[in-house]
Amino acid sequence: MNNTYKGTATADEGGGLDPRDAAKLLEQTKRQARRAFDIESPVVAVVGAGVFLFGYGAAWWSLRGQHPEVPALWSLGVLYGLIAISAIVGSVVMSRATAGVSLSAEARRQNLARSIAIGSAAVGAWVVEGALRSLGVNFEIVYGVFGPTVPLIAIAGAAAGAFAMQQSWLQLGAAVGFIAVASLSTFFGPAGAWGLTGLGCCLVLLVYAGALVARERRA
Amino acid sequence: MKGRSPSVAEPLDPLIHVPVRLRIVATLATLPAGDTLTFTRLQEMLELTPGNLITHLRKLEDAGYVTTEKTGIGVWSRTDVALTKRGRAALDAYTEALRGLLGGL
Repeated sequence: MNNTYKGTATADEGGGLDPRDAAKLLEQTKRQARRAFDIESPVVAVVGAGVFLFGYGAAWWSLRGQHPEVPALWSLGVLYGLIAISAIVGSVVMSRATAGVSLSAEARRQNLARSIAIGSAAVGAWVVEGALRSLGVNFEIVYGVFGPTVPLIAIAGAAAGAFAMQQSWLQLGAAVGFIAVASLSTFFGPAGAWGLTGLGCCLVLLVYAGALVARERRA
Repeated sequence: MKGRSPSVAEPLDPLIHVPVRLRIVATLATLPAGDTLTFTRLQEMLELTPGNLITHLRKLEDAGYVTTEKTGIGVWSRTDVALTKRGRAALDAYTEALRGLLGGL
């Protein structure tokens, strides 16, 4: 059997390229390009897992045995500091992946719509948190139970909708995991809300990171 | 022999069946339709000289497989490259032809 394809391209351009080599080159190029453009980084997911473990963990640590059971200011400083670090890591990964890429007008509109949906869900949840406090709901419920869970559920819910529209199953799974963990942890009071949400979301993100690595290897 | 032999299989598009152009088209096809990539990033990704990339892009552009658009002036100028619908369809057809060939080998 003759395995050499006699194409019509000229030999100086590589017209004698064997179909097997062409198939390998095609797959290899696609795989490299997908990795280069991929904004779903396992590294970012692991950094996010660290935010939940150490940020939420610090809040949980600070409120144990306190009356009322609310996180100390220093622990919120740790949490927001870690959130800032993860945002920087995420933006570096994003800017590397999207360097030189210009989105189509439709993709830009979709991104704007997604940002509005997620942003308004977060702002809405925080406004309700403020309203609950002004209505006299006690600190433990507002900052101990509502604070660590409801804004997260609102953001994850809005993101889940966007992921469902894109049929991004891994991200949708992670968002649903966040919602399940955060909502169930509210049954366990302030310590449970901070501690279990932190631990559970950390695990969700580690599983998500593992799934991203597995998908990358399969591709 | 099972399947089709190479001699009777769909011919591979000679414009794409060249390593450099295959890599150009495959890289651009990874982006969603309508997105563009700068000449500079494409050059970095494929590790080609500007002259070499320009030569191959011109051939692909003449066939209507890619579009290039230059914006800005001087040091602020940039060239965006995108795969056209025709280019995407050509790559799909090429991939199918390749599958047919390899099935027959």
